[in-house]
Amino acid sequence: MSEIVLHSLVIAGSVLLAASVVIALFRIVRGPSILDRMIGTDVVLAAIMCGLGGYMALSDRTDLLPVLIVLAMLGFVGSVSVSRYVSKSDSMTPGAEAGALSEFSASDWHMPRDAEESSPGSTSVPQARPSDDVTEIADPTYDAHADSGGEGEGTGPDPGPDDAEHVSDGDGQESNRGS
Amino acid sequence: MVLDIISAVLVFLGAVLSLAAAVGLVRFGDLLSRMHASAKPQVLGLVLVAVAIAIQFPTWATVTTLAIIISFQLVTIPVATHMVGRAGYRTKHLRRSMLYRDELAEAVDRAEAREIAWERQRGTGTDHHDG
Repeated sequence: MSEIVLHSLVIAGSVLLAASVVIALFRIVRGPSILDRMIGTDVVLAAIMCGLGGYMALSDRTDLLPVLIVLAMLGFVGSVSVSRYVSKSDSMTPGAEAGALSEFSASDWHMPRDAEESSPGSTSVPQARPSDDVTEIADPTYDAHADSGGEGEGTGPDPGPDDAEHVSDGDGQESNRGS
Repeated sequence: MVLDIISAVLVFLGAVLSLAAAVGLVRFGDLLSRMHASAKPQVLGLVLVAVAIAIQFPTWATVTTLAIIISFQLVTIPVATHMVGRAGYRTKHLRRSMLYRDELAEAVDRAEAREIAWERQRGTGTDHHDG
């Protein structure tokens, strides 16, 4: 009798956890903003933690407790980094740059550009300004580690982190494999 | 065997809370309401599951590790939720019609007035910074 009760409880809990993960994935797919997707990801992570805890409790696996700690830390870091990303993109609008706190952030944004213009011969210039340094990128010693098919495309220099998707669309699979 | 059934019931309650959070995530129409729904399994569901584990393995190592997990979750979940809510408020992902009162708006107005006054004072004081 008690075996039947135990097994039915375990199966019902597993079905509920799976259903909650599926519904939260529906919110992640359909969520209108990135914050809704982040909340859906948190619910998925909470369901994973509950399922892992139930598995640990009902089958003798206490060695999975550090996994639970890592999952808790992963949820915290993910939520904080995504919300900081959203707030940062919001504070870059010109209306929000008129205060004491944003004075620090404005200088923080402008300072690398000034330092870069004052010293144009440094090594970090080809990645920062890709439109100026076509001849340097064509140097095979620089290009060897970046991508192997970069010379045949003829569209420009090393794209940097912003244009990586565009080049991978035009270049095919070789740039993804080389980088 | 009774302890097995008790811990299975606790895990089942955690799963019910997780399903409630998922249903609230779909049914509610606002970012703040969804945050309200999604905070339940992160704290209470995990506490129930931890009690289930502690019933099954009542040793010091397991219980202290579970206490670490629960206290970490209790500390970090309000911080993360506060950050998400602040980002949602700043990017205006909330329905004004669903709020009874917005006490943060008064504080934002006061802060903006103070910032404008500070900006005006700084603009008259030091001009070389802008030029």
